[in-house]
Amino acid sequence: MTTGISNTIRELRAERAMTQQDLADLIGVTRQTVIAIELDKYSPSLETAFRIAHVFRVPLDQVFRYTPPTTRRR
Amino acid sequence: MSNIFDMERTMPSLTFQEKSLYGSLAAELIVYVPYFVYVPRHHATLGGIIATIVAITVVQIVVQSTIAIFSRNRLTDERDRLIAFRGYRAGYFALVTGILSALTLLWAHAVAGLINPNHAAIHFINVLFAVLVLAELVKTITQLVSYRMDA
Repeated sequence: MTTGISNTIRELRAERAMTQQDLADLIGVTRQTVIAIELDKYSPSLETAFRIAHVFRVPLDQVFRYTPPTTRRR
Repeated sequence: MSNIFDMERTMPSLTFQEKSLYGSLAAELIVYVPYFVYVPRHHATLGGIIATIVAITVVQIVVQSTIAIFSRNRLTDERDRLIAFRGYRAGYFALVTGILSALTLLWAHAVAGLINPNHAAIHFINVLFAVLVLAELVKTITQLVSYRMDA
């Protein structure tokens, strides 16, 4: 199940030639959690989200984007 | 470079927590399945239940120690804690549902005279033990499914 939150972690890692394990070690989570975040299957805590942005030295909204669910009108 | 990234993306190996859960599931199946296959054919005894509890404790210690020795990264992160919470919640619902169902069935059996009064106490303990085992299995399986569905 996707969360409505998308991210650019994969692209940011690729630009820096950083592996999932490298990022996981830097932010204090497992590689499997990085995989789940990249695939938009897990929304990280606010603290972890800020840590990711800090590692890449970019603002938070450059890493994560939220797409609200479309609301139906009668 | 892109090949490395594609491989990373498609090959999520097991975390220490997942290995531990598979170990727990294996230990539970190894110990509980023979017990619950044996019990319906013979009378349950308090000694049998105690022996099963001792067996699961010993098997779990051996299995979990082995997994810990061969796991380099034993990190537990926020996602592990969330999945553990989901498992405990599912296990709790299974426990409550199981206890209520078991009490209702035991009462119905007692009213219908299907329970031998000489074995009522051990029968009651055995049914509650089965409910505890079931709740534990629900907890473990829920956690394993959560790991596979989320990554």
